[in-house]
Amino acid sequence: MSDDQPDTPPTDGGSQRDGEAFAGTAGGAARPDEECVAHYARDDSQPNENTLSGKIRVFLAFIGSVTRHRVWFLLIMLGTIWGVLHESVRPNTWRRTVRYEFRTTLGEVAGGGLVATLVTGTLTGLGGVSQAIYWLGFAGMSKMTGSLLVTVIVREIAPILVGVLMLGRSGMLALTELGMLTTGGQVKSMQAEGVDPFLLLVLPRTLAFTVSGFTLGILFSVASLATGYVVSRASGAISNSIWSFFYDVVTAMTPADYILIPLKFIVVGFLVGLGCCVSGLTASSEDTVSTMLPRGFSRGMLIVMAVSVLFSLKL
Amino acid sequence: MSQEESPQLAGHAMKRTVGAVLELSGATLLQEGAALPPLPLTMRLMPGECMVIETRDMGRATMFADLCAGMLDLRAGTVRFLGLDWSALGDRRANALRGRIGRITRRPNWSGLFGAHMQMMLKELHHTNRSIEDLTAEAVRLGERFGLPGIPVDAPGRLSDADLARMTCVRGFLGKPRLLLLEDPLETTAVDLSTPFLESLTEARDRGASVIWFGRTSSTWREYRRAVTSQWRLADDGLLTVRIR
Repeated sequence: MSDDQPDTPPTDGGSQRDGEAFAGTAGGAARPDEECVAHYARDDSQPNENTLSGKIRVFLAFIGSVTRHRVWFLLIMLGTIWGVLHESVRPNTWRRTVRYEFRTTLGEVAGGGLVATLVTGTLTGLGGVSQAIYWLGFAGMSKMTGSLLVTVIVREIAPILVGVLMLGRSGMLALTELGMLTTGGQVKSMQAEGVDPFLLLVLPRTLAFTVSGFTLGILFSVASLATGYVVSRASGAISNSIWSFFYDVVTAMTPADYILIPLKFIVVGFLVGLGCCVSGLTASSEDTVSTMLPRGFSRGMLIVMAVSVLFSLKL
Repeated sequence: MSQEESPQLAGHAMKRTVGAVLELSGATLLQEGAALPPLPLTMRLMPGECMVIETRDMGRATMFADLCAGMLDLRAGTVRFLGLDWSALGDRRANALRGRIGRITRRPNWSGLFGAHMQMMLKELHHTNRSIEDLTAEAVRLGERFGLPGIPVDAPGRLSDADLARMTCVRGFLGKPRLLLLEDPLETTAVDLSTPFLESLTEARDRGASVIWFGRTSSTWREYRRAVTSQWRLADDGLLTVRIR
């Protein structure tokens, strides 16, 4: 990438030296400190744009800067994933402030999102599950009901909806809180007291989101399946008992499902929490709520969909 | 020992109390264009000493305090606290060491994240195993000295500026810090906190803590000038010593 070598002077510009290159643009004799500022400014990306190599350099610099800008968040996420996993197994990490933050966030995410998750699960059951049962019965494929519900509802829809719910209800709140602390300087004050914001805020919140992702995911699945059964039974689409219905669903699951479905809930929760915390902590001084929220939401949605797709490919 | 982290560090620090608490040796900031001039800064602060640093720009004072707390990268020189070079310490050890510094800063340090009581005691709760009762008792004692009827448990946003100023002082002195970096709280408050502030300052110095007191003018520390060990001025041309009059 061309902008990886900002100090390289243009090779095609004749015999210009660094100082001379600026003297022309500065429009006269510059003071030493101004020259210094101009030097750094030029180093970023100011080759002679009139020549072919200059144009190529500008183009490559543009591609490089866009690529680095996009990959930057991914690299930070990879680093913090390792950081959270590594730090979470160290007993010294779990000091009382970290435990307090974990408990508080868990209560907010899992407790606060419980009703919303159950309602969404119920609505999914009303719309999706009952319709699936009805049409499978209509097509004479009732035996496939269990496997279809596991595949569609539990494995695909539940992680996405739970991830979106957590993102919208708690993730955006975490992002705003941490973003405002970062831009307001309170994070710096914490660091001045030796309180690592990663340890106090990112780690416990991410793990609380992880536990909540699993909990809410299971509750969502149970609520949607139970509601679907009730509606189908009431409409006469099925006549077997609820235990028999759930038995069909459970037996339709493969051994891999018992690992991968909970894992999907866990990974969605983990990455949504981490993504929101990291987006908040990496906010710049120019950021405001109106810039942080759309960016955080789109990142969160991307995370939810990426996890869902990656797991589906493996399955 | 109540310190939760790094017993070796604490032990090392205890052994070093005979030497300088804080020592800057030609410390030059890496960051260009910062509030602090990119000049070598040299000073030494022994246990129990009180250094007054006058500066017109309190942003510069905050940055100097950050430098003393090992939060800024250096181009040259060293900053040592309790004999330990900040640049040689890992993150965990550096954070543990920062837990032994009491700061009163102009930087915003109250947030809506926790209750005021928790934020006031956050450093001690995070870095030590001291019991809640013990911590609360100390916070109440300091709070009463600064004019608080107890420990506020509301969100800081619901408290008055005067109460926040009192709590900032309590937060700074809580936990018997070894070094106090005080960006003059007396200048900005409407209430008179000079008596409890000086009382706490003297108590901390008697215990062996060292103090750097940043101020815009000498009017705030004039009452205390007989007890001041040295006076410096922080300006564009660096850190300069000033004769106490």
